[in-house]
Amino acid sequence: MRKYSVQMTLIFSVLSFLLMMFGLGWTIQNQFFSNGAAEVIEKAKPEKEASKKDGKVVVALGDSLTRGTGDDSGKGYIGYLVDELEEKSKEKITLHNFGVKGYRSNQLLNQVKQSEIQRQIKNADYILITIGGNDLFQSGQAFVDMDEKKITQARESYLKNLQAVLVELRSLNDHAAIFHIGLYNPFIDLNDSEQTTKIVRDWNYETNKLLDQQKQAIYVPTFDLFQLSVNDYLYTDKFHPNAEGYRLIAERVASLITW
Amino acid sequence: MINLVKNEMLKIVRKKRILVVAGIIAVLVALFTYSQFREIERRLERFGDVDWRTTLQQQIIDTQNRITSSGISDEWKSELQLRIQQQQYYLDNDVNPMEPGAPTFVRTFAEHSINLFLPLMVMVVAADMVSSERSAGTVKLLLTRPVKRWRVLMSKYITLILSVSVIVVLFGLLSYLISGLIFGYQGWTAPVITGFNVEGNELNTNTVQMIPQWQYLLMEFSLVWFVALIVGTITFMLSVLIRNTPAGMGVMLAALISGAILSSMVSSWESAKYLFMINLNLTGYLSGQAPPIEGMTLGFSLLVLTIWGIAALIVSFAVFIRQDIY
Repeated sequence: MRKYSVQMTLIFSVLSFLLMMFGLGWTIQNQFFSNGAAEVIEKAKPEKEASKKDGKVVVALGDSLTRGTGDDSGKGYIGYLVDELEEKSKEKITLHNFGVKGYRSNQLLNQVKQSEIQRQIKNADYILITIGGNDLFQSGQAFVDMDEKKITQARESYLKNLQAVLVELRSLNDHAAIFHIGLYNPFIDLNDSEQTTKIVRDWNYETNKLLDQQKQAIYVPTFDLFQLSVNDYLYTDKFHPNAEGYRLIAERVASLITW
Repeated sequence: MINLVKNEMLKIVRKKRILVVAGIIAVLVALFTYSQFREIERRLERFGDVDWRTTLQQQIIDTQNRITSSGISDEWKSELQLRIQQQQYYLDNDVNPMEPGAPTFVRTFAEHSINLFLPLMVMVVAADMVSSERSAGTVKLLLTRPVKRWRVLMSKYITLILSVSVIVVLFGLLSYLISGLIFGYQGWTAPVITGFNVEGNELNTNTVQMIPQWQYLLMEFSLVWFVALIVGTITFMLSVLIRNTPAGMGVMLAALISGAILSSMVSSWESAKYLFMINLNLTGYLSGQAPPIEGMTLGFSLLVLTIWGIAALIVSFAVFIRQDIY
């Protein structure tokens, strides 16, 4: 028996050794001497549209507000919104949150051109967008200096991008309602509030105008929510909303969604 | 010579080392399979039965968000960026990087074991190959025979190579068989993307090729085997040099663990790339991870490891032939 097991081990080990040597040879040949001519394998045709959905699909696009920055529970207005909708209706809600912190309108435009995002958009029943905050407030010196010319420039390119995004969304999905969450003025408590308010108001006005030209596109104002007691609703960075602020936005959007 | 090798093999089998190693591997595989199974279950509970594309897209978005958060080191940032580009490539080509099934489990498990777990298993066999004979005194019996010393050592080394091969193949077989119980045995022909070239922070996809998973596994395991062999050779040298088996193991362990730690923090110490333990992660080149030090390539690592292996072998033979045995 012992002799037998030694024999077996020997044979098995020699076979393993040969296999591994062969593999190493192949690896070296493949990695160093093949000209990288990609062998195309027969890809199984993906049944992309097959996903039979039950319930409603919400796709959220945009910046840190969509992500929920500033909310300690990490939900953001999207999270509270879904909570509320689930309470309101008995339907199952599937949420796809594609928000990325710091996104500007041009980045969003790039994002909606990606195939997988497009696939999700096609299935969506509701599309929620927060964009523009970074275009305006993070444009660096321009906002601090209240350089009107530069801000107008930023707005023009923002509107152009948003327009392109909306057209793209519509071409992918002609039945979903699109909600665009407007900007509030986080600096309303500071000096120059008159000027900043004017800038934000103009910005929102132009956005609203743009959305009105689209079918089933709704502009959701948030300016008034933060107008009176802005500090109660802002996170410690004095820029993003806190949990309470997000809840306010969510309530407002929830009241607009009906089925 | 064949008889000598047989004799050595007999010792290995008698000591039941390979059985011990197989046992350890089986237990670990069962452990990881279970934990991954729980992970999948939890995800199902939370997100429902979702398409892998959705999950992958969500991962990309999450990583994008992590990059933008402040207080993240530049290195980590560029690594995350690479990961995003790679995942995006998978998504664009409609290839699931995590095709469910035992082969995928084996692939990731081997990827994670190459620089610490498998070398440790090899050490179990290699560490006392010579030193135990000396501490037990049996080496005298061996050397009083009319056989040249180098042949005695050679037979031991050949036996080591064979046992390393057994361990690596057993590792693959066991993890395939055990994880297959839960994940299923399918997925050999699923496409895998390899050949990503990392250039600075950019992912070069010109040389990318798509190969079936079985081929990828073969390539991956041959690299795992090569690493195991080099680690085995160096342990073998220590076993010749240091009479005390635990001391030899300690040295090797320290080297391996320091390698695992160093790999994540040496990027600014460039000459560390000539240390063997930094070069152990060969499978990373296949899957397209950023190397621990910029400029390292598969060819470079293979070369460094080969040189270390040959040097260890020369030292072992030179010492063993001249050594006083008492």
